[in-house]
Amino acid sequence: MTEEHSPTYSDPEQRIAGTAIDTTVPHSARIWNYWLGGKDNYEIDRVAGDQFSGIYPGIVDIARADRAFLGRVIRFLAGEAGVRQFLDVGTGLPTADNTHQVAQRVAPESRIVYVDNDPLVLAHARALLTSSEQGSTSYVDADMRDAGKVLREAAEWLDLTQPVALTFMGVLGHVVDHDEARSIVAGLLEGLPSGSYLSINDSVNTSEALEEALRVYEASGAVPYRTRTPEQFAGYFEGLELVEPGVVNVDDWRPDPDAPRGPQIPQLGAVGRKP
Amino acid sequence: MTCTRAPVTVSHYYPLVTNSVLTTRLCSDIVLHVHPPSPFGFAGGSTGVNPPALGVGMSTDDELAADISGPTVPRMILGNQLHRFREAASISPDRAGYEIRASRSKISRMENGRVGFKERDVADLLDLYGVTDEETRAGLMMLARQANAPGWWSKYGGDIMTDWFEEYLGLEAAASVIRAFELQFVHGLLQTEAYARAVTLLGNTSAPAEEIDRRVGLRLKRQDLLASSRPPQVWVVIDEGALRRPVGGRAVMRAQLNRLIEVAGLRHVTIQVVPFSRGGHAAAGGSFTVLRFGEDDVPDVVYIEQLTSALYLDKREDVDHYLEVMNHLSTEALTPVQTAQFLAGIIKET
Repeated sequence: MTEEHSPTYSDPEQRIAGTAIDTTVPHSARIWNYWLGGKDNYEIDRVAGDQFSGIYPGIVDIARADRAFLGRVIRFLAGEAGVRQFLDVGTGLPTADNTHQVAQRVAPESRIVYVDNDPLVLAHARALLTSSEQGSTSYVDADMRDAGKVLREAAEWLDLTQPVALTFMGVLGHVVDHDEARSIVAGLLEGLPSGSYLSINDSVNTSEALEEALRVYEASGAVPYRTRTPEQFAGYFEGLELVEPGVVNVDDWRPDPDAPRGPQIPQLGAVGRKP
Repeated sequence: MTCTRAPVTVSHYYPLVTNSVLTTRLCSDIVLHVHPPSPFGFAGGSTGVNPPALGVGMSTDDELAADISGPTVPRMILGNQLHRFREAASISPDRAGYEIRASRSKISRMENGRVGFKERDVADLLDLYGVTDEETRAGLMMLARQANAPGWWSKYGGDIMTDWFEEYLGLEAAASVIRAFELQFVHGLLQTEAYARAVTLLGNTSAPAEEIDRRVGLRLKRQDLLASSRPPQVWVVIDEGALRRPVGGRAVMRAQLNRLIEVAGLRHVTIQVVPFSRGGHAAAGGSFTVLRFGEDDVPDVVYIEQLTSALYLDKREDVDHYLEVMNHLSTEALTPVQTAQFLAGIIKET
């Protein structure tokens, strides 16, 4: 960029978006997009996705159940819980009913900050996850391990003295070490006031077929995803007031009365309130 | 009433794409209602000679959206239905083509919503697929008639409207997401009138003034899409070169750059510049557009314009390749916020 016509970016966040899309290995967000029936995936992702579902067919049910869980949780948070600020960690590629759409359908003034560090996800989010007129959506390009940065940048859009709903929907397994995952959750929660909420869904290690599929997936060079024990999952909510019905299978978290039940999946979900 | 078979269940893949024409479940109790385009476009409303509504429950917004979108949406919905009925009946495209004295590829084009439908062909196919429910058939025949209605663009005359461009206009109007990479010029949906005139003059040096006017008018009319009640998401990546070339002179270009800043402020428009400083970039081949549609089953279409024709690619491996390049460009380019600053910088120098 030459000096004559280019603005200079002193703020590191104003740097040019990264270019690190590696199309030689399957890409987590694109595979989820494939499982959810989206069109933003390449051959390599479809092959990896099919290989995965060949070993563990329930993954497609997990993908759908996760989205449905997200919808019910955000509806609860924006509705009954009255939250108007959302910090969504691990955005993923846009699909139907993203966090801001669900929240703003209940409360159009809702403000949502999406956090991700994947250049492909960020480019899509900036272009396609557009807010209602009354609310806002914004994007933080950060690794969730960097709680300081996430909170600092989120604070440009959210009032961190008011309750915030912090969500990790199917992303904490990307942090291989469970202790580190816990400290990520705790670090971010620490920056939020009393009355804030935490919601997580993640896979647990109760299905040998899922473990096997994850091993094969990891061997393909993709970013690994680790399941937790149910106890480890519950540990994320230590010190919080669990919202009914507590830590349950995602399908059992305040299910819509008429919704069809999918097959049993090793996927837990919960919502907790910071006292 | 209940769906007898093979309902189209459409889920919106992208956010904010809420064209209810596409969300409608089409079955024996069709609640679909698509007007032929009004000659007045969205601004004139749907007064005038609309056919009887095919169903109930659409708001004025929906009607206006249908006016803008032209016949391509009913084509896609009907094509999708025919595809499902054919699959359900386990009939090959060749066999179906034979039945209506056409080729396998004609069937594929029909099912992808790319062409109009002869009512007789639709009736013959429904016979072949064993679709006997009278209400279902009546609904589909109504769709076939709507799928043949001329688009708003048909009044612009064959001398400036080629078949290949007409097809693009239909797809553009039906798209839920339009992603474009522009190497030379500002995208047609984002041009000012003066800039559009200058570009048109470049390509038609000997055309009479009246023809130039009509060409410019057509281009501006396309932009009604952006102001419609259910606009597509428009995501354009522009090479810096297209911004530096003073098409129409400096004043025209400055106004065009200001327009870009203004239009980038719309919630459904995203503009990203690839600055020279990025060096060589992924789209060595040139400008192209990727159109996405709200229906799960309708594939993306890559559109590449040439001097006297255009390429339409919808095979998965082709689309994959172009989508990958487009994604590379989108991540190489300045972010939308950086782009606004960058545009302001260029305006100062222009």
